[in-house]
Amino acid sequence: MNDLPFLDLTLFLPLVGALVMVLIPKRWEALLRLAALVVTTATFVASLGVLASFESGTPGFQQVTELSWIPEWGIGYITGVDGVSLWMIMLTTFLMPLCILTSWTIKTQVKPYFILLLTLETGMLGVFSSLDMFLFYVFWEAVLVPMYFLIGMWGHGRRVYAAMKFFLFTLAGSLFMLLSILYLYFASQGSAAAPTFDYRSLVGTPLALEVQILLFLGFFASFAVKVPLVPLHTWLPDAHTEAPTAGSVMLAAVLLKMGAYGLIRFGIAFFPDAARLLAPAIIALAIVGILYGALIAIVQHDVKRLVAYSSVAHLGFVVLGLFVGTIQGMSGGILQMLNHGLSTGALFLLVGALYDRRHTREISEFGGLARSVPVLAGIFLIVVLSSLGLPGLNGFAGEFLVLLATYQSYGWWVIPATFGIVLAAIYLLWAYQRVFHGAVSIEANRNLEDFRMREYVMFVPLVALIVAIGVYPKPFLERIEPSAKQIVRQLNDASVIPETRGLAEAP
Amino acid sequence: MQGALTSPVDWHAIAPELVLTAFACLVLVVDLFLAERAKWLAMPLSAIGVLATGAATLSLVGSERTTLSGSYEIDAFALLLKGLFCVIGFIVLAISFDYFRSGIRYQGEYYFLLLCSLLGGLVMSSARDLVTIFIAIELISVPGFIMTGLRKGDPKSNEASLKFFLFGVLSTAVMLYGMSLIYGLSGGATRLDRIREAIDGSGNEPLVMLSVFFVVVGFGFKISAVPFHFWAPDTYEGAPSPVAAFLSTASKIGGFVGLLVLMFKAFPEVADIWRPVFAVLATLTMTVGNLIALKQRHIIRLLAYSGIAQSGYILVALALIDPSSPGVSRQALESALVYIAIYAVMDLGAFAAAVAYARRGGTYFIDDYAGLWQRSPVLATLLTGFLLSLAGAPPMAGAWAKLFVFLATINAQVYWLAVVMGVNAVIAAWYYLAVVKRMFFEAPELEGPVEVPYFLRAVMGVAALALLVVFIYPPVITELAERSIL
Amino acid sequence: MPISYFLVLSALLFSVGIYGVLARQNAVLVLLSIELMLNAANINLVAFSAFLQEAGVAGQVFALFVIAVAAAEVGIGLAIVILIFRNRQSVDVDEMSLMKW
Repeated sequence: MNDLPFLDLTLFLPLVGALVMVLIPKRWEALLRLAALVVTTATFVASLGVLASFESGTPGFQQVTELSWIPEWGIGYITGVDGVSLWMIMLTTFLMPLCILTSWTIKTQVKPYFILLLTLETGMLGVFSSLDMFLFYVFWEAVLVPMYFLIGMWGHGRRVYAAMKFFLFTLAGSLFMLLSILYLYFASQGSAAAPTFDYRSLVGTPLALEVQILLFLGFFASFAVKVPLVPLHTWLPDAHTEAPTAGSVMLAAVLLKMGAYGLIRFGIAFFPDAARLLAPAIIALAIVGILYGALIAIVQHDVKRLVAYSSVAHLGFVVLGLFVGTIQGMSGGILQMLNHGLSTGALFLLVGALYDRRHTREISEFGGLARSVPVLAGIFLIVVLSSLGLPGLNGFAGEFLVLLATYQSYGWWVIPATFGIVLAAIYLLWAYQRVFHGAVSIEANRNLEDFRMREYVMFVPLVALIVAIGVYPKPFLERIEPSAKQIVRQLNDASVIPETRGLAEAP
Repeated sequence: MQGALTSPVDWHAIAPELVLTAFACLVLVVDLFLAERAKWLAMPLSAIGVLATGAATLSLVGSERTTLSGSYEIDAFALLLKGLFCVIGFIVLAISFDYFRSGIRYQGEYYFLLLCSLLGGLVMSSARDLVTIFIAIELISVPGFIMTGLRKGDPKSNEASLKFFLFGVLSTAVMLYGMSLIYGLSGGATRLDRIREAIDGSGNEPLVMLSVFFVVVGFGFKISAVPFHFWAPDTYEGAPSPVAAFLSTASKIGGFVGLLVLMFKAFPEVADIWRPVFAVLATLTMTVGNLIALKQRHIIRLLAYSGIAQSGYILVALALIDPSSPGVSRQALESALVYIAIYAVMDLGAFAAAVAYARRGGTYFIDDYAGLWQRSPVLATLLTGFLLSLAGAPPMAGAWAKLFVFLATINAQVYWLAVVMGVNAVIAAWYYLAVVKRMFFEAPELEGPVEVPYFLRAVMGVAALALLVVFIYPPVITELAERSIL
Repeated sequence: MPISYFLVLSALLFSVGIYGVLARQNAVLVLLSIELMLNAANINLVAFSAFLQEAGVAGQVFALFVIAVAAAEVGIGLAIVILIFRNRQSVDVDEMSLMKW
């Protein structure tokens, strides 16, 4: 079983699919849709192979592939998974077929749409599986381009503005990351024989504290934009709201996680001292994000924008967990990444379903929908409850762990964070009530079509997974924990290297 | 110099130049006997000439030799650039074909001039002597003056030609004055290696600095570095567009080659003096070029300013040379070579797409690019590829070009310059994306499909494919560049 | 006669040329000013060549090349100027402002 390179198969299957789809004439829309579905499902199956051959209980990287790419510069093609990236990869491959299904309603420019979506998948998977910093950077940038076109060409309303903003914010952030990566590359010359971009050799490069802080901030600029942390979040509501449904799902479920993932994998692992030193500030930002996102979400009158702001709040919990410095916090944060991907992805899918029926996202345009679309309303309720962290559903486990860890390490800081959960209950349930309950005030809402076969296919596995994680999170956590432990150890044990290697003379 | 008369000439070493000269003359003569309708035949003939020159260049691969008393050197560096000039020449011919066939008289003369200018580039690649460098740079520029003014009836073309001419000659004069001082300071040497020996430790630093300054200013005009860039956008806009494409690549690269050769071969010992000058020039060139590009509405002017900004990245390499650490210098030169090669292809690609669109159903105004995706998906996709490459975004080779310059900069520990480049990359992304945005996200305002000539389409396709391949497997270019260090 | 005389002369000539380029409006006069600058370089080359015994005649050869190239340039320049004069009856460089920014 271990012989097959499932990871690389997963990584490149979508891209190969996209290339094959280029050859299909654009008039054959049905075939194009089907091909996209087949490719993404096959990718998911391949990723199940990754999951099956994953050995839980070991912290290091597994299923590593190493190929030489640009030997002269020490750049290689190196991929692998560990407990942190495993679930991100699974989340991506799992949600992608659902995105294809929800995109059945795309009627214009079908061919480029699906090609871009598949390219995007390879980009995202590449970010989570590359162990070479250069490869990582290339994938990180490569995600931008398809997403830019997805938002700009198939988005709503102010799509052009949103697309440009998304691209430039992310690009600006990632350039600082690039500079940090390159600095790190030359700094590694001291410890290793030849300079390398191999992640595994770069971890543990001794750096003076002030250098660490600068480089950490370089990475942080990129990841904090992506996560997003207040005040760098302003691209998010625009991009999420104007993107087509599949784009919003991918943005919320996967792209935001790229930021959090980067913080764990690179921010903390490379610069533990800086991370520890800056943790209180980052935690403060995270808590501000939790409260800010929730408060802004309350006053939204556009369902999609509401969900977008709820992402800001939820990602605040993730970052909080990552930086409190305990294993519970780290595991909870990582689990919360997965959970947020599922529940917010589901929320965006549901909002998309509503939009397909009514072609509006204004809350005031809805009301009493529970009567006309009971199944949709029921599933919406489950997802809402999962999103606000009801015990028994997936959102609970992660948030609980994070709050517990915050209490243990930071005491009273947990109070404003907990308040965020209360606010989440307010904005989500209030919105739910306004959309689905009450009298039918607008005639158009009276006779809406409930779920079709395609939508059942989409939501049944999603809801099943939401319940499964809520009831029995152990199989998920036990794969996360060894890696989480290792990262927390790095964060806590590392000590400032006494020898001073300042910026000027470092490499 | 006197040795050139007695020592035997290595004819094989100068075969590419001879072939190109022969074809240039052939084009001029054949053109005399062609009927007006058949004048276009000059283009296939020129293309064959360029290919033959490329073949002659390939026949020299692997050899290291000097001829003409050491003033002419054939090494990997020269061969790489000769090959690049052949590629540029071929693409420019492809762009020119449709443009000149349907529009302008003097086709034969145009192709003759183009080949002459290209010859200048070839000579420049091998020139290791002040006189040869001077001749090469003039050979590149002088036909350019005429080509720019080929649309005789168009006042814009006249004006472009005059501006280009005056600035070109002025820069020559300034450069020449610097060269004459160097000649004297080095005790009468014109060969670069001799100059290097003579200058090293001569104690004439202030005078050397002054003369290098004159030379740099002269080349600054040729490569349109800010603040010597004023002629470039006007010239590009007024010139026939294929000529603009040629000027922004071959002519500019010719200038860069001269500058690189001079700085690496003749003046590395005084690098400490001019390194900050280049750092400032690079910063100005990138930043001003990008900022002015932001508000351009004419695609050729946009490409002109973007080309200016791109020159800034190549100038960075010159700001990193450090004779005391050969590794850093090597990397700087290597990154410059990679950048030059990739820049040439992507910039020509963008020009080709712009010309193709303006000739068939469109204009040069960026506003009219709205909805091009719906009118011609192929053209829109190709142009987007080239623009993304210029912006340095995956999946095109331009990303590597920028990354290597970053790498060299960080290695040289000039961090502030790296930050400047980073900020500029973001500014540049804005205006490249603004064109992409129009093509893809907006509804078309002009009607009708856009027919791109097959030949041009094929050439653009190959160029885009090459950029893609280099992105996927960069060693194809980096290894070449690594072997071609001076 | 020391070499500095020649160098000063050429520097003066060069400066006059620069002044002319900046101050003149007539394209022909600008061209002539640039020619002055080229000749300043020529004086340098020839003077160095004559004074530096070991230098040989490279400087003089260089000067000949410069003269030849300058002649070609003047030919082209005057052609362009005539072209412009035909089209707009003026060769004033300040009026060359069809394209800006």
